Amino acid sequence: MSKDELNIKDNTSLFKEERYVQQRENKKQFEAPCSEQETAEALAYSKSAEYMEKNFNRQNVVINPHKACQPLGSVMAALGFEKTLPFVHGSQGCNAYFRSHLSRHFKEPTPSVSTSMTEDAAVFGGMNNLIDGLENSVALYKPEMVAICTTCMAEVIGDDLNSFIGNARIKGVISEEYPVAYCNTPSFVGSHITGYDAMIKGILSYLYTRSGIESKPGSGAESGEKLNVMLGFEPYTGNFAELRKILAAFDTKYTILGDHSGNYDSPATGEYEYYYGGTKLEDVPQAANALGTLSLQKYTLKKTQEYISGTWNQQISALSTPLGIKGTDKLLEAISELTGLPIPASLTEERGRVVDALMDSHPYLHGKRVALVGDPDLLIGLIGFCLETGMEPVHIVCSNGDVDYNELKFKDEAEALLAASPYGSEATVHVGKDLWHMRSLLLNDTVDLAIGSSHLKFAAKDADVPLIRVGFPIFDRHHMHRYPIIGYQGTLNLLSLIVNTILQQLDDNNSGFNFELVR
Amino acid sequence: MKYSILSEGDEEPMDPVRKNEFDSEACGSIAPKAKPCPRPKPGEAAGGCSFDGAQITLLPIMDAAHLVHGPIACAGNSWESRGTLSSGPSLSQYGFATDLTDSDIIFGGEKKLKDSIDYIAERFAPPAIFVYSTCVTALIGEDMDAVCRAAAERIGIPVIPVNSPGFVGSKNLGNRLAGDALLQYVIGTGEPEPMSPLGVNLIGEYNIAGEMWDIEKLMNSAGITVTSRITGDARYKEITYAHRAKVNMVVCSRALLGLAKEMESRYSIPYFEGSFYGAKETTYSLRQMAFLMNDREMERRVDRLTEREEARLSQDLRPYRKLLKGKRAVLYTGGVKSWSVISALKELGVQVVGVGTNKSTEDDVRRIADRVGDDTEYIPEGGASRIIKTVRERKADIMIAGGRNMYVAMKEQIPFIDINQERHKAYAGYEGLLRLAKELTYSLANPIWKLAASPAPWDKEAPPYDR
Repeated sequence: MSKDELNIKDNTSLFKEERYVQQRENKKQFEAPCSEQETAEALAYSKSAEYMEKNFNRQNVVINPHKACQPLGSVMAALGFEKTLPFVHGSQGCNAYFRSHLSRHFKEPTPSVSTSMTEDAAVFGGMNNLIDGLENSVALYKPEMVAICTTCMAEVIGDDLNSFIGNARIKGVISEEYPVAYCNTPSFVGSHITGYDAMIKGILSYLYTRSGIESKPGSGAESGEKLNVMLGFEPYTGNFAELRKILAAFDTKYTILGDHSGNYDSPATGEYEYYYGGTKLEDVPQAANALGTLSLQKYTLKKTQEYISGTWNQQISALSTPLGIKGTDKLLEAISELTGLPIPASLTEERGRVVDALMDSHPYLHGKRVALVGDPDLLIGLIGFCLETGMEPVHIVCSNGDVDYNELKFKDEAEALLAASPYGSEATVHVGKDLWHMRSLLLNDTVDLAIGSSHLKFAAKDADVPLIRVGFPIFDRHHMHRYPIIGYQGTLNLLSLIVNTILQQLDDNNSGFNFELVR
Repeated sequence: MKYSILSEGDEEPMDPVRKNEFDSEACGSIAPKAKPCPRPKPGEAAGGCSFDGAQITLLPIMDAAHLVHGPIACAGNSWESRGTLSSGPSLSQYGFATDLTDSDIIFGGEKKLKDSIDYIAERFAPPAIFVYSTCVTALIGEDMDAVCRAAAERIGIPVIPVNSPGFVGSKNLGNRLAGDALLQYVIGTGEPEPMSPLGVNLIGEYNIAGEMWDIEKLMNSAGITVTSRITGDARYKEITYAHRAKVNMVVCSRALLGLAKEMESRYSIPYFEGSFYGAKETTYSLRQMAFLMNDREMERRVDRLTEREEARLSQDLRPYRKLLKGKRAVLYTGGVKSWSVISALKELGVQVVGVGTNKSTEDDVRRIADRVGDDTEYIPEGGASRIIKTVRERKADIMIAGGRNMYVAMKEQIPFIDINQERHKAYAGYEGLLRLAKELTYSLANPIWKLAASPAPWDKEAPPYDR
C-alpha cells in the first residue's frame, strides 16, 4: 500500500496545522495568569546572572536530579554474578523503577524482584514478606544465589536482614547452604554508586566468608596468577569487551568481579533465560588469592577496595574510568605493575594509531568549551580526555560527587587535574548540584558542547548546545552502551562522536557560502 | 447502521444507555468495589507502587509543579519518564524533590518541605503545587497536610498534599488516591468563564502519545466540548471547574471510577464508562456522550460523524485487514485496555488467544468475557515466563503488552507492540485504529523475524521457535 493511503500524522506535524496553532493560542488563557510579555520577561530572568545567583543559593529543593538511589546500583551489582537474582526489600514501586530504568538504558530485560511491602509490613516489619518473597522467587526464577538490598522503607522501620534470612532458613523456605548475600542501601544516603559498592562488597565478603578459605595473596598454583578486575557501576557493556581485549593482549589470567555485561548484552536466540553470564560464584573466594586487584572506578568502589586491601590483604590499583590516551596509559601501567608483565607491542601500536586520529581531528576540537555532567569517576576520565585534546572544560556538575577515596576528595582531584593544564583554567567544579544549576551555568556562560546523560537534554536544548550522550542513563539513543569508551579504542569512539557532532553542526549552521566537502 | 466495519457474524453495535442516579441497572452504576485493590505478592517482579500511580494520574496537569517529598529515589528514578504529552506548559516535566538525607529522617523534613514549596512558588509561579508523600515521609510521620495548608495560606496558591506513599499498595490504589486528592482540594474550587460552553469531562485519559488530541478532534467535530481533561494535557484551572460539566466519561475505569461516582453524588453529573480503542467503542462513546448531554441535534451530528468516519476507516483498513485476518495475539495490559483493545483487535480480524487480567476489575473481566471466545486463556498473574508460555502454547503471532515485557519478547523473537504508558503511538479513535493496524502489520511483517529465526548458514541446528 502506498503512503498516500495513510493520512495519519504524528504530533509533530499535526501541531503545525492551523487549527492546532489556534487551539494552543486559545488554551493560553488557562496556562498563566500573566501576559506573554511577562512570560518572556520571566524566561529572560531565568537566564540572567541574577537568577543564577539565587539558583545557586537554593538549599532545600532539588530540581532535575542527576543521581539515582542506592538500591538501583545494588540491582546492577547483583546482576554481575552468575545466576543471581536481585531482590529488593521494600515496597514494590522501587523495584519497578529500577527495572524500567536499567531496561530503558540497556534495551534488555532486567530480572529483579521485590518483597512488595505494604502497610502491615510497615507496622509489623517486613519479615513475612521477606520469607514469602524468598520462597516465591526461588520457586519462580530458580536463581543459584539471591542478593538482597534494602530500600528506605525497610531501613526506616529497621528491618534486620541477617536475622530474617536466618529465620527463612529455620522455617525451611531455603536450605542452610543456599547462598543469600545482602547489603543495606537506604536511598536517603549516597547514590547509585554507593549502592553498587555496598552490594559488591556484600557479595564478595559473603561468598568469601562462607567458603572458609583464608586469603594468601599471590599464592595457589593456579589462582595466584590471576588478577582481579572491577569495573564498577558500568553503563557500557562495550567497556567490558574492551577491557577483555586489553587483558588478552597482556596474556594474563583474570577474574572480573561483578560482570553484568552478559545480562545486558545477550544474543537473540529465541529463548529468554533470565540469567546470562556473570562472575562465577566459586571464583569469588578464589579471587582472594589473586596477585592484586585492579579497580576502574575508585570513588565508586571505595568500600569494596577497603575490604579487599584489608581483609584479603591484596594490592589494589585504583583508577578512575580510563578514558583518553593518558587515562589508558595509566591502565596499562597498572596492569603491568600488578602482573609483572610487559606492555604488549600491539597495544603500543594501537595507542599510536589513536594518537594519529586525535591529531587529525585536533583543529576542530581545540578551544571548544565543554560542560560535563556525570558520576565522579567518569568525570575524572572525561576531564582528562578533554584536556589532552585541547577542549576546555568549563562547567562540571557532579550531583553525587561528595565522595572521597583514601582521603582524596573528588572535587579536589578534579580541580588539581584542571589546574595542571592551561585548558582547565576556566573550569569550576560543582558538587552536590543538580541539572537546574547546570541550566543556569549553560545559559550564563555559554559553551560549545555539553557532555552527559540523556537527562541533560532539557538544559542543553534551552541553551541551544549540542549534547554528546555519555554516561548513565541514556534513554533516548540506541546502542551507545555497546561501544566502549575506555581504552584506546574507546578514546577513538569518543573522539569520533565528538568531532563528528561538531562537523555536523558546521554543516547544519551553514548558510551556503562555505558548504565544504572536505574537512 | 449502513457502513458497519464489524466482521461478519459480529454482534450489532451497542445502543446508548440511559443513565441517571436512580436507575440502578444503568451502565456504570455499579459502585466501585469496597474491597481494596489486590495486594502485591512478595517475590515477584511486580509493577509500580501507589506513589507511582498517584504521580501518573496527576503529572499530566502540565502547568502545575509536582514536588516529591522524600529521598532522592522516588523522584530521581521517575522524573520525565512518561509519555504523557503537553501542548503547552512543561513545568510538570521538572523533577522537583526535597531529597531527604539521613539527618532529615531523624530530625524531620517539614522545614525543608516548607522551604521547597516557597522556593518553587517564588521562582516558578505555578498555578498550584502538588506535594507527594513517599514511604519514608509517611513512616517518619511528617504532617504534610499541615505544611501544605500553611503554605497555601502563606503563598496564596493551592498546595495539594497527595497522600499515597508507595507501601499502601498497588499502582491502581495510587490512581484512586490521586482522584481523592482532586476531589478534596481541586474540583469545585473554581468557576468557568461565563462564555465557555460546557460539555464532557474526560476522566482517566492521560494523553499518552497524544491520544487525547485525536479524541478531542473527534468530539469537536461533533460539536461536543471538553470541559476538563482529568488529566491528560490538563491545566490546573480547568479541573477546578470540572463540577460544572454536563457529563463525565470514565476512560480508564480502574483508575478513577470512584471520582466519577463521587461527582455524580455531589454534583449530579451522570457518567459512563467508555473507551476509544476500536471503531465500535469510539462510536459508542461519542453516541453516549451526546445522549447524556440530552441534545437531539448533537446526537444527529454524532450519528453523521461516526457513520462517515467508520465508512472512511473501513475503506482505509481494507489492505491491512487482508494481512491481519486470522492472526493470533496475546494481550497483556491492565484496566480498560484489557477489554477495549480486544474490540479494536477483533475489528482488524486479529484473534486474542490470551489476555492478562492482573490489573482488571471484576467489571473489566466481565467485559473481557463478553468479547473473547471460549478458547482464550486468562493470565491472572504477571511474570515474563507466564506470558511467554501462553504465546507459545496458543501459537500466538504477536504479543501486545507494556514496556517492561518488551525486551523479553525481543529475546524470544516474538513480534511485539507496546500498548502501555511508554508507547509512542496513539491508538485511540478511528485514526488510532488505523495506526494500530499499521503498527501490527509492520511488527508482524518485519524481515528481522525471519533473519532472527534462521541459524547461521554454517549452523545446522534448527531454530528454537519455528514460526
